[in-house]
Amino acid sequence: MPFADTIGTDWAWVIPALSASAFILIVVFGRFLPGGGAFISISAIFLGFLLFWYVLADVLDTGTASFSITWLRVGDTTVTWGVAVDRISTVMLGLVTFVALLVQVYSIGYMSGDPRFGWYFAVHGLFAAAMLALVLADNLLFLYIAWEIVGLGSYLLIGFWFERRPAAEAAKKAFITTRIGDVGLLIGIIMLFKATGTFEISTIFHVAEQGGVGEGTLTTASLLIFLGAMGKSAQFPFHVWLPDAMEGPTPVSALIHAATMVAAGVYLVARMSPMFELAPGVMLTVAIVGLVTFVLAGALALVVTDIKRVLAYSTISHLGLMMLSLGALGAAAALFHLVAHGLSKALLFLGAGSVMHGLNGETDIRRMGGLRRRMPLTAITFVIGAASLAGVVPLAGFFSKDEVLLAVLDNRNPAFIAFALAGVVLSALYMARVTLVVFFGEPKPETESAHESPRTMTVPLMLLAFSAATTGFIAFNWTDSYGGFGDFLTGEGEFHIEPWLTATALLLAFAGLIVGWLYYGSGRLSHRAAAERFPLVHRILVNGYYFDRLYQWTVDRVVLTFSRSVALFDRIVINDTGVDGSAITVMLSALRVRYVQTGKMYNYGAAMALGTFGLALIWWIVQT
Amino acid sequence: MIELAHFQLLSAGLFCVGLYGVLARRSAVLILMSIELMLNAVNINLIGYAAFVKATEAHRALGQVLVVFVITVAAAELALAIAIILRLYRNRTSVNLDEIDLMKW
Repeated sequence: MPFADTIGTDWAWVIPALSASAFILIVVFGRFLPGGGAFISISAIFLGFLLFWYVLADVLDTGTASFSITWLRVGDTTVTWGVAVDRISTVMLGLVTFVALLVQVYSIGYMSGDPRFGWYFAVHGLFAAAMLALVLADNLLFLYIAWEIVGLGSYLLIGFWFERRPAAEAAKKAFITTRIGDVGLLIGIIMLFKATGTFEISTIFHVAEQGGVGEGTLTTASLLIFLGAMGKSAQFPFHVWLPDAMEGPTPVSALIHAATMVAAGVYLVARMSPMFELAPGVMLTVAIVGLVTFVLAGALALVVTDIKRVLAYSTISHLGLMMLSLGALGAAAALFHLVAHGLSKALLFLGAGSVMHGLNGETDIRRMGGLRRRMPLTAITFVIGAASLAGVVPLAGFFSKDEVLLAVLDNRNPAFIAFALAGVVLSALYMARVTLVVFFGEPKPETESAHESPRTMTVPLMLLAFSAATTGFIAFNWTDSYGGFGDFLTGEGEFHIEPWLTATALLLAFAGLIVGWLYYGSGRLSHRAAAERFPLVHRILVNGYYFDRLYQWTVDRVVLTFSRSVALFDRIVINDTGVDGSAITVMLSALRVRYVQTGKMYNYGAAMALGTFGLALIWWIVQT
Repeated sequence: MIELAHFQLLSAGLFCVGLYGVLARRSAVLILMSIELMLNAVNINLIGYAAFVKATEAHRALGQVLVVFVITVAAAELALAIAIILRLYRNRTSVNLDEIDLMKW
């Protein structure tokens, strides 16, 4: 096919453009189309997924490419819009289009009968377009625009059922919390622009490597950019929005809170890692934030009872692991885990959605049990996803976690690896808990009417389960030209393993699973007794380390007090004195001066004559 | 011998009489007549300059032409003003300016 041969990296920009056009088409014509126009969005993302393979083939053949058009010219500065197609962005393209495609197909079944069915798919198109543009962006300004549209899409999708107050609140919380980080990102971008005079990422790297950016500026800008990544990727202490975001439709959580939006922060840091590496303190910060998030969020996932919140805390935890990997100079390992986790967690979320679909929207795992008999397909796929994230051989999560631990071992001191291994145990434990409680054990009365989901929902589950099970094998150095996934992505050295580390991680994962089975499967140990034995720990965990209360207190006491004083200043000084004051002054003086207007013609005439005489007099004096 | 200064004096005197009339009279008709006086004072001034100024014939003619213009405009203005005063009288049965003071605070 001669035409198909011409499709390559220069077609990469078409992928987001397709989804963006789908958004516009559905918004304009959706109401006249069958199914609200859902098929437009799905075909757009499907074509995008097909194009991804062409782009991948071209990237493997010809390597990195970038294309840009001039957007605007201000003085000596030219701002461009462009795409940079390299191996990292190509991998992300594949992940985003694949997961988005499956999620949209799944949504046909999950969202059927919703009054805003078409609008749901329109926003999915908008979100996918923004996310793909973010992945492809070759300059920071374009990236920032896409970044914000991603935030908008997430706001619209989390608050999709905005008639329900918690959903509207959660959407606001997600938007505002991530915005706090975004402000940092914007300031960081502006600082880099001031230092280098360009937004283009590759040029910024070039200048920074030549030492063209002062060390202080570099460190501050990197930290600010990392702040944006922390907000989007829900790192401590910005993690509070992600559990609440579970108020959105479940497929949305699978797309946004597993594989795409929360991954944007990790992707940004990975993208900027050549610059971050020039500032060693920043990399250490990234590693510490990641480690703290990994362990603390993992502990929270043990106590929450809402199936989606368990997955949300698990997501936060694994995003922390990715950040840890980035901080340990393992960008390739982080992206590998991003892909493996994205596939597995999307699978788990869709599985949770399938469970909720079968139970009429029930999310409390205490009211579930023994669902494997009534929903066999969901159960099998869910177990695969959970096992992958728990780190069971040979699923994707095992390989990616291993690479991450290896990077930590190579580049960070032993304390990091010790805590990371503790986090691995936690991962296995909470995955065992949620799986055993929901799908095994005794059926509860609430599960009597449970039924398997329709085909549009189970087929995406199976496809995701297959990819979550097999993706791990790309880690190996299969052929001479393919030296492992890390080598493929960034050329960060050959694939290698550290046998004792792999064995330890695997043992700990199984230990976690067995402990989970003892507590939640066999019932030999009682988790209630454990909670009663450590009431303080349990209370802290159930309250999520009191972060929400702390933020509520801060907003009530600090922000609102400050706002009230500002409002008072505005009322008294700006409004009453400045605006009203000048108007009142004019009015009062007019009340006096208006008596000059007598209405008598001869007064006006006299004024005119006197004025003329006066002017003539002045003229005469000036002349002589 | 009549000189330019005599014309100017006559003109200034006539103008002052007119001005006094405009300012001191109450009747709109009398004020209108006083305005005519002031216009004629201007005309005399123009004629005086046209007769005495040291300039070419064309320039001298300019003063006379201007006078003709002023007379024309004054006639038009008078026609308009008389019409207004007539309407005023119909409406208010008075042309006393003391009673016509709506243009005020």
